[in-house]
Amino acid sequence: MTDTSRTRRPRWLTVFGLVTLAVVGVGLYGALIMSPPDVNQGDLIRVMYAHVPVAWIGFAAVAVSAVWGMLYLWRGRAIDDVRAQGTAEAALLYSILTVVGGMTYSKPTLNTYWTWDAKLTLTALMVALVVGYFIVRALIDDPQRRARVSAVIMIVVLASLPFNYLAAEWFRTLHPAKSVNLDGSGVTMDPTMLRVLLLNVLGGAMVFVYFISERIRIGRLSLADDKTFDSVKGVAREVVSVR
Amino acid sequence: MNDLIAALTVARKDFLQELRSRATTVATLFFSAITLVMMAFGLGREPELMRSAAPGVLWVALAFAGVIAAAQSFQADLEEGAFEQLLLLPASRAAIYLGKLAASWLYLFALGVLMVPIALGLYGATAPAGTWWLLGLVLLLGTLGLAIIATFYAGLTANLQAREALLPVLMFPVIVPIMLGAVRATEAALMGSADAPLALSWVQLLGGFDLVYLVVCASIFHFVVDD
Repeated sequence: MTDTSRTRRPRWLTVFGLVTLAVVGVGLYGALIMSPPDVNQGDLIRVMYAHVPVAWIGFAAVAVSAVWGMLYLWRGRAIDDVRAQGTAEAALLYSILTVVGGMTYSKPTLNTYWTWDAKLTLTALMVALVVGYFIVRALIDDPQRRARVSAVIMIVVLASLPFNYLAAEWFRTLHPAKSVNLDGSGVTMDPTMLRVLLLNVLGGAMVFVYFISERIRIGRLSLADDKTFDSVKGVAREVVSVR
Repeated sequence: MNDLIAALTVARKDFLQELRSRATTVATLFFSAITLVMMAFGLGREPELMRSAAPGVLWVALAFAGVIAAAQSFQADLEEGAFEQLLLLPASRAAIYLGKLAASWLYLFALGVLMVPIALGLYGATAPAGTWWLLGLVLLLGTLGLAIIATFYAGLTANLQAREALLPVLMFPVIVPIMLGAVRATEAALMGSADAPLALSWVQLLGGFDLVYLVVCASIFHFVVDD
């Protein structure tokens, strides 16, 4: 760790962080001031601008982490495991925020904190699944086996999401009908509101990218530490064998 | 072909082992039966409530039994280093997984067949004769789903600490669709075939789950057991 150029934060990341901050600021302005109040929900609709991006990004994070896990299984490079882990941490954070946000949102609108609503149930299950991922990670000492097993778990988690969603949806749902269809077929939302929402999705996604970039940078540094540890052990082993 | 023989060999080995030791049978049979009784105490004694709870209680008991059976099957192999020798089998890891899965599935299905009349009797529910095929189908697909996930995660946690507590924590969030689908379809079967299309859509969910996870788990199992 003598070479400080490797440990310093790269300039692009700092600039990106500042741009992210600006986008989040504009998004906040849009959500709190520009956006008109909703016909039914009034000012409560402003919670949506935080809740919806966080939820979308949480699900995307699980997918991204699983993809990095697959890359690890394919190429076997330790950095891919660092990436998968960093993204999984973000997935845990975003899914917990989604559950908390959903509960605070449904108290004033649906008059109950917990509703067994499909999307809320799905997210709560996702929290449990990602927590399981980290429990297993903590129990395995061998870094290669840990990386392999956690990649496998994240793949199973990703595969479980559509089934859990379908099951929870058929089970019972109270969630407000979605107003943006992902296939672009129909948007039932005021144009200003949609623009503000998309801006906040962009801001949330940039925060996500910033977080995981920083996390992966730190992970890469501790990986370098591990390597020196390994080489020290290697030296010690040689000494023993010489004797 | 080679893999098929290997899978059958592993399944036969697990099955014979169980027939001779009866370790899992004793543990799970009485465990599921006692779960049914304890849940009955927990629910109170209102006949209507008991009757409507029967499918849910049955599948909760089967899910717990699935956890124990799968953990036990790997536990027996891990003792005396038998699992390492099993891995020396000249076949793919997927074959070993499928073999253990087949044994677990057969076992869980048999357990389910035993538990259905006990659950119905204890909870005062009845199955109309015309819906037995549906009940059988749900048992087949539901226990297959449980066995797929339980065997996979049991292999994953076999040499970890605290595996007994860990296995259900990892497994239960994944088997939620199985629980919901099996419980709803069993409910429909017990109420007569009034809701047949609804029950069939749950059965389709079970079938889809089984198919997808069978492929996914079999193709990534070797990452879990190789060192």
